[in-house]
Formats: sequence, structure tokens, C-alpha cells
Amino acid sequence: MSDNKQMVADIDHSLYDFKDIENEKDFYRMEEGLTRETVLKVSEEKNDPEWMRDFRLECLKLYNEIQMPNWGPSIEGLDMDKISSYVRHKSDMKGKWEDVPEDIKNTFEKLGIPQAERESLAGVGAQYDSELVYHNVKDEVAAQGVIYTDLESALRSEYADMIKSHFMKLVPPTDHKFAALHGAVWSGGSFVYVPKNVKVEIPLQSYFRLNAAGAGQFEHTLIIVDEGADLHFIEGCSAPKYNVANLHAGCVELYVAKNARLRYSTIENWSKNMYNLNTKRALVEENGIMEWVSGSFGSHTSYLYPMTILKGNGSKMEFTGITFAGKGQNLDTGAKVVHQGERTSSVINTKSISKDGGIGTYRSSVTIQSTAKKAKASVSCDSLMLDSISRADTIPGMDIRTSDADVGHEAKIGRISDEAIFYLMSRGISEEDAKAMIVSGFANPVSKELPLEYAVEMNNLIKLEMSGNG
Amino acid sequence: MSKDLNMKVNVLPVTTYNFLHVNDGRLEIKDVELQKIASSNKAGIPSGVTLKENVSFDEAGEIFRENKERILALKEEMVSPNCETAKRDESQSIRTGMGADVDKLFLENNISCDVYTVEKNVKVAEPIVLRQDLEDGATGMSSQVIHAKKGSEVTVIMAYSSERSASGFLGVSTRLLADEDATINLVKVQLLGDGYVHFDDIGGACLRGGKINLTTLELGGKEAFNGAYINLSEKEAALSSNLGYLSRDDHSLDMNYVADQRGKKTEASMQFKGVLMGTAKKTLRDTLDFKTGSSGSVGDEQEDALLLSENVVNRTMPIILCQEEDVEGRHGATIGQLGEDLLFYMQTRGIDEEEAKRIMIKARLESVARLIPDQEIRQLAIYYIQQIV
Amino acid sequence: MSEQSLLQVKDLSVSIDNELPILNNINLDIKPGETHVLMGPNGAGKSTLGFSLMGNPHYCVTGGQIIFDGQDITDISADKRAKAGMFLSFQNPYEVPGISMGSFIRNAYHAQTGAPVKLLQFQKSLKAAMELLSMDESYADRDLNVGFSGGEKKKAEILQLLMMNPKFAILDETDSGLDVDAVRTVSKGIEEYQKKKDGALLIITHSTKILESLHVDYTHVLVKGKIVHTGDGTLVDEINANGFERFIKED
Repeated sequence: MSDNKQMVADIDHSLYDFKDIENEKDFYRMEEGLTRETVLKVSEEKNDPEWMRDFRLECLKLYNEIQMPNWGPSIEGLDMDKISSYVRHKSDMKGKWEDVPEDIKNTFEKLGIPQAERESLAGVGAQYDSELVYHNVKDEVAAQGVIYTDLESALRSEYADMIKSHFMKLVPPTDHKFAALHGAVWSGGSFVYVPKNVKVEIPLQSYFRLNAAGAGQFEHTLIIVDEGADLHFIEGCSAPKYNVANLHAGCVELYVAKNARLRYSTIENWSKNMYNLNTKRALVEENGIMEWVSGSFGSHTSYLYPMTILKGNGSKMEFTGITFAGKGQNLDTGAKVVHQGERTSSVINTKSISKDGGIGTYRSSVTIQSTAKKAKASVSCDSLMLDSISRADTIPGMDIRTSDADVGHEAKIGRISDEAIFYLMSRGISEEDAKAMIVSGFANPVSKELPLEYAVEMNNLIKLEMSGNG
Repeated sequence: MSKDLNMKVNVLPVTTYNFLHVNDGRLEIKDVELQKIASSNKAGIPSGVTLKENVSFDEAGEIFRENKERILALKEEMVSPNCETAKRDESQSIRTGMGADVDKLFLENNISCDVYTVEKNVKVAEPIVLRQDLEDGATGMSSQVIHAKKGSEVTVIMAYSSERSASGFLGVSTRLLADEDATINLVKVQLLGDGYVHFDDIGGACLRGGKINLTTLELGGKEAFNGAYINLSEKEAALSSNLGYLSRDDHSLDMNYVADQRGKKTEASMQFKGVLMGTAKKTLRDTLDFKTGSSGSVGDEQEDALLLSENVVNRTMPIILCQEEDVEGRHGATIGQLGEDLLFYMQTRGIDEEEAKRIMIKARLESVARLIPDQEIRQLAIYYIQQIV
Repeated sequence: MSEQSLLQVKDLSVSIDNELPILNNINLDIKPGETHVLMGPNGAGKSTLGFSLMGNPHYCVTGGQIIFDGQDITDISADKRAKAGMFLSFQNPYEVPGISMGSFIRNAYHAQTGAPVKLLQFQKSLKAAMELLSMDESYADRDLNVGFSGGEKKKAEILQLLMMNPKFAILDETDSGLDVDAVRTVSKGIEEYQKKKDGALLIITHSTKILESLHVDYTHVLVKGKIVHTGDGTLVDEINANGFERFIKED
């Protein structure tokens, strides 16, 4: 029934693109540009501990020193002097939905967030511009000892030391220019801790909404899944479209302990003026499992390559991703994996679709260090070209330093065949629907990895893109 | 006059993560004499082929400049891929796999070029065999342009060899133009000594129905660079490349292959088979570039790398660039050691592990060696392989 | 049986890429509920006629007209022809990865009727049709045609025929590559469509296996792009016995 609905449902084209008339006086907005003063102001706003304030200043220094990347899409359109790094509503974060300010609540209601929580989530966090506005965990999940809170509160809690020893240790600010930027002005995001052997049966979710024009969002997500524990974390992102550039330079650090499992799912639908320069990284210990599911639909320009370090022996990673590059978009996405432990294994499976002049690039790296005896890696990337004004590029790299590894790689590029379209049309399906159906089928290996309501959302996004109204 | 070389070569058509160290290769060598190294050609020049010796490197490129509009024809404006590096090689009369720094080296040192021209519709039956059997300590370079005119066909075999223990430097630039319906078969066999630094740079273009077939064996040398950039400029142009390599001890091999597909219904096939042993380092970049207008084209890249020692470094960068809807591009790679099943099967037939490895190395390399159309050179290559394994 | 024509093909000529015509001045008149058989040697243009009637854009109509149910459909797209009540069973059905057969049929059914699909009722009739065709229920959840054997693909086509229940169906070499049992099963499905649903048929075949259990009203012989002979159902038996020799000579 549900998949039938996906294909025939009418789509509300304004689903993500509504703007809230922001009542200026209700919002605090940092002046544009990035200076020592702005960084200190953010730090003050956040009531940082001293070490964090020093860390921010160190990051700012690094940011000014590190060069722009010499590969990937152009980010010339991004002028840091025109980006406000901090915008927040003047009210505090709420634990009850009723208490969230009306205008913000409306936005999330339209996106179906509280409804999703009621139906199928163990906990929800919602970030609006730079700050979390809502955070709630179901009682039974909290009773298991699961911590799901905003990072700022966590910094002042009993978990302060745990955060200090993990924060930007996996993604050091020296990693690249925008990691340094993130370190300097990060704000908001979530902290999750799942204690030993606790299996969280239903997913936790964070939803990020960047509503202010010309603003940056720099949320930090830190998740620690302790030994033998199990968690599914879902992240959704959206923003209305403005004519000025917005920037998202979030950072996600995931620690998967021995025998633990973490699944991290993302549906990214930032508006098409967004520069999405996000960094995600996971460290996996012995026999741990890291699973990524990633759908990239939005943004003007994306650099997104979730990285997994398979440190422990027998650790595993699976990455399933889809990218749909439409008009005006330059989406450079993929995955990175480093095999360190023995018998580690990785599977990367991606689908990429280019249409209406969009540029879709699959970029990846598979590194097998000499210590990773009996490692296995397999990469499969398929690209679908929907017209001849678009681009689909595949740029995978491999660096293998032990003979005792087994590496397979497959890439294919092609188009929808005329025969396929005619076959479907002969069954009464219009050309447009036939194409959408074939593209949905192409994307199916990814959507079937998603929870139902996200799969529906993804199919809607595909249909929206296919109808040319995306 | 001796010189120090420091060249940026084999630049990836689009740059990627710096930590992979694949964006380009670096050819560095100190205190080297650069002069032209002549090659011996026992059989002479067959009829229908004219050889002009000692043409300046620049003048020899004239044939490509004359045809530039056809070679670089594009149906319409293109969207560039992210961070492409094409601009770097714009000065070349024909773009080569190793790039502009090689041209510069020939030009600055006045190393002349030998130009082979095959007349219209002449199908040269016997291959032209160019041998360079080098002494220990020999250093120098050579350059050829091979132009096969409309409807003609020619096979050129170039073999470089020396004593196993010899050292030296040999750089080669070979530029190819396959005119309408012409075919150029170029075979390169590198069997240089363990102290040699060697580069082999190829640039070529196929006009309507033109074909370039490359057969390459990179077996010797301490440090070897090999690059080929082939333009499939017009309808039904085709490239077929078979490369076999062996890198052992502390040797290194750095390769860059590009099929630039512009014409309709072009075909590119690039196969790489190799073996890494000891602490050898290998980098392979192979790119299919479907440009706008290449509708109906197909491209296939396959790599099969056998890693036989714990300490090898194997870097592979297979790229597919595409701005045309109606194309089929494929890439596949299998990298690893001998399969346990195969090993077990061989053991049940009384073959031990070492012998099994030898058999598999020979099988891979000899499959390419067997494509050499000259018996003497083929025997030379097979003998070399047998000596090593 | 109504006297009104269901499908009228008038002087139809077809070519590919504006080259030499493959079909020349084809004329057909099929009334509701009638079964026509189109036979002919390999390369005569039989499949081309099927594709042209269904509107495959690869084939270019260079002359003539196709009238279906009173409407000139010569220039309309395949999906509109399907909505008007036409169906083509493909010789080589296309594989559609990612879409289950059940979901696909539901979507196609919906696309044709425009009405919401009553799920329970739909599933009941799908199950019944699959039983008739001896298809395992699990096929409904498998991706359409992906990894299906030749026989399973043909059954899946006939299943769609039964579920969509068109006014007129073209069966292109539905029996080719099938073993005896599979031919029998597929024939059963076609009989069901023919009798219970009073459907009109154009059966394209170069053998006669599939026709044994079916009532045939007319037989047309296509040679080198032309209908060279039209007879009744008994012509099938004659061709079965003597082959096409006689018609090729006639030509």
C-alpha cells in the first residue's frame, strides 16, 4: 500500500521551501564575518568552559592558515564575510513540544517532526538555526541510561570529561579549513551516549533547520555507543531557499565500541543556495559495526564523504548512499574508509543521478594499511545520466598496502534505455512517470535501508526532482 | 651538459584528495646527460612509409596543430568537471599522458624527433621494429611521431633493453595520429636494467574510424613512468590498450592513461594486468572521459593486480567522467593475492605455493607478451619474464 | 459480437530511421472479441507491426492510419494507447530493478483506470491470476522480470494481461523459448482472457504450439513487410503442415 502511495501521491512542492516570517526582535543574530571578536562572542553566548574558549581561538587561527581545498567543486560563491555564524531564538531549549515558540513549532509541524516522534522515534532533537529548540527522549529509553541531549548542557554535566576527551579528536581542526571553522564557531548539535549492552530498539532523530538567510549552521554531533550497545540515529536537514549563500559546516563524530553497532541515516535536503561542507567520521573498535545510509538531494554545493576508521580487528562498515544532482547543483559526495584492524571489512554501494545540468560526482577512498591483514573491501558505484547537459563523474581512489587483502571495485555509468521507457508506457504509464519509476527503482537499494517514512520522503524527493520542480 | 630534472608528470585529469598522493607523479633525477639516443632498425623502412629523421620536436608536432580543430572538436559548450587539470597541458601540440613537462624537456634540450608517415591506404604487413639495447650508464631520450594517413595501417614495435644490473636514463615520447580509417598498432616493451630510470610518454588522436592499439610491457627499470592520452575525436574512433607490468624489489611504476571520447560511437578499452612484489610501489590512473557529443560511445577499464608481498604499495585511481547521456562506461578492479581456492586446487595437483605464484605471474604477463607481433621481441620478453620468476 | 471495428489499420507503412520501409500498406480490421493470428517467416516484420501498433517511438509511421475504438491513435504515445485499452505482451520483457511485480501491476492498473486501487480485492484477483498461471506467490514481491527465467517472464506478461484486462491485446511470440508445460500454462491464461473477458487478440507467432487450444477467427500471413494472404483459423493447420513456402512463392 505504502509504496503505491509513494508513486501516485501528489506532491506538495512547497514542502520544504516555505519561509517563516521571522520576527526580527525574537531572534539574536551575530554580525556577519569571522573575527576573534565574533568567536569570543559565540563562546560567551554559549557560556563555554575555559578550555573550549581557548580551543575555539586556536581553531580560528588554523582556519586563517589552512588553504581552500585544491580539489572538488568551486566554493567561490561562498563569502565568509557575508555569513552570520550564530543565529538563535531568544527563548531557551524546551523539553516539551507545547513550550516551543509558535513560529518555530509551525515550521517543524509542517515538516512532520513531532508527528514522526509520536509514531516511531525513541527521542527527537530539533535544531533551528544555531540552537537546539527542542529535545526529548522517551522515558523508557532514558530509563535504560541512554543520554540524548544538546552538547552544551552535556558540557556542564557529569559527561563533561567524556566530551572533552572525544570532542574534535576524531575530526581534528587541522583536518581541513572547514573543520577548523567548525571548531571556532560550532553551536548546537547533540550528544548521545548509549551505555554498555543497551540496545535502543527504535531510532533517535535530530532534525536540523536553517531558517535564517545568509547564516551558517555549525552543529556538532557526538555519539558514543559503548560496548555491545546498539543504536540507530537519524538526521534530517532542510532549509528554505534564499538568494544569498548559506553555509553548513557541521561535524559528526561517532565512536563505536567493541561489539557495538551504530546505524547513522541522513536525508539531506538543504535548499539550493546552501554550501554543505560537512564532516562526518566514525571510529570502530573490535567487531563493531558502522552502517551509513545517506541521501543527498539538496544544497547548491556539497562536499560530503563520511569516513570510517576500522581500527578494531573484525570491525565492519557498510555505506549506502544516493545523490540526486539537479539544476544548479554541484554535489560531490561519497565515502572514505581506512582499514587498520585485521579481518576488517567495508562495503560501499552508491547510486548517483544527474539531471537538468546538475553535476554529480562520486568521490571516495579506500585505504588498506599494512596492519589490516585479511581485510576485504568492495566498492560499487552506479551513475545514471538523465540528459546530456548534466555531468556524472566517478573518482574513486584506492591505496592498498598489504597483499593479504581482497579488494573489488565496480563502477558503471549509463542512462535509462528507450526500451525500458516504452515497456512501461505500453502498460499505460506516462513517460514522466515511467522515468520516475525507473529512477525510484535505481534508488531502491538505498530507500529500502531507510525507515518507512523516510523512504516515502525520499521517493517524494525523487518524484519532485523528476517532475522538474525540485 | 648534465642537468637535474624535477618534473611534474602523469597529472590526474581531475584532482582529488591530497592524502591519496595520486594527483600527479614526480620525476626527479640528478646530474643526467640529455642527448638523443638512436634506435637500431635492422629491417629498414618498408615501402609506403617515409621516415624523416632529426626533425625538431616542435616542428614534428605540426601535423597535430594542423588538425587541432578536428582533434579537439566539441559538439557544444561543456560543463567542466570539478577541478580539471586540462589547462596545464594546453601548450602541447597533442596532449600526452605524462603532460607538458615532457614536451618542455625535449624542446629545451633540442632533442629531435623521427617522423614516420604511412601513405594513404597502405597496409604495412611487416612491423617496424625499433631496438634500443643500452649500455650500463647510458642516458638520453628519443622521440617519434607516427602519422598513418587515411585508410592505412602500420605496426611499430619499440623495445628497450639492457643488462639486468645496468643503470641509466631513457626517456621516450611517441606521438600518434591515426587519420580516417587508419590503424596504428604501437607495441612497447621495456626490459631495462634494475638501475634505470625510464619514462614513456604517448599522445595520440584518432580521426573518423581511426584506431590506435597499444600493447605495453613495463617489466624493468628502477623507476618507470608511463602515460598515454588518446583523443577519440571523431565518429567510430577506437582505442584498445593492453598493459602488463611487473614491479619488484624497491622499484616504482607510475602510470596515467586517458581515453578522451569526443566522437560519436567511439570505443575505448583499457586493460591493466600486473604483479607487485618486494617493496614495489605502483600508481595507476586510468580515465574514461565521455565528452559532450560522444553519444553511442562505450568505454571499459579493467585492472587486475596481483599483490605478492606484504610490503607493496598499490594505488589505483580509476575515473569515469561523463557529460553525455547515451554512453556506457564501466570500470572494474580486482586487487589482491592469489585466491585460496585456486591455490588449493593447484596444490591438489602437486604444485606448491611458490610454483603456483610463478605460474600465475607468468600467465598474467605472458598473456600480454603473446600480443607482440614480432617473434624475436616476443621471445625476448618471455625470456625476461622467465628470468625474473 | 458487435459489427463495429475495434482496431482498424489502414495502409500502414513503417520504417526505422527513415531508411527502407519494414512494413508496406498493412491493412487489418479486428472486431471486439475476435482472435487474429499473424504468422510469417523470421524477419517478415511481425514484431515491428506489434511495436508499431503499440507506438514504439523507435519505429516511424511513414504512411497510413491506426484507428482504435473509433479514435485515431496513429500519433499518440504508448501510455495513451494502453489507457485506451491496448496491451502488448513483449517478446523480451524489460527488467525493472527496484520495483516489485505486485507493486508495478498495481501502479499500471491505477495509471490506466485513474481510480484508487482497492487493495484487498486487488490482491485477491492477483492471487487468483497467479494461481491460474502456476506462478508462485513470492513472485509478486520480486523485482519485475529481474532474474526471471524466460518462461517466468512470459507468464508475468500474461499475468499483466489478465490483471489489466484490455479490450485488445497483441501477443508477440509469447510461446517462443517455452517448454511444453509452460506453453500449456500460458495458453490457459490466454484462453481465460479470450473467453471470460471477451478480449480481442492479435497473436504474433512463427510456430503454432500456442494456438492448439485457442479459437482463431482469422489468420494473416506476413512476408517481407506485406500481408500476402488472409484466411480463417484452418490456415494455421495448413501452415503447420506445409510451412510458408507457398506464400513466399506467391510474393
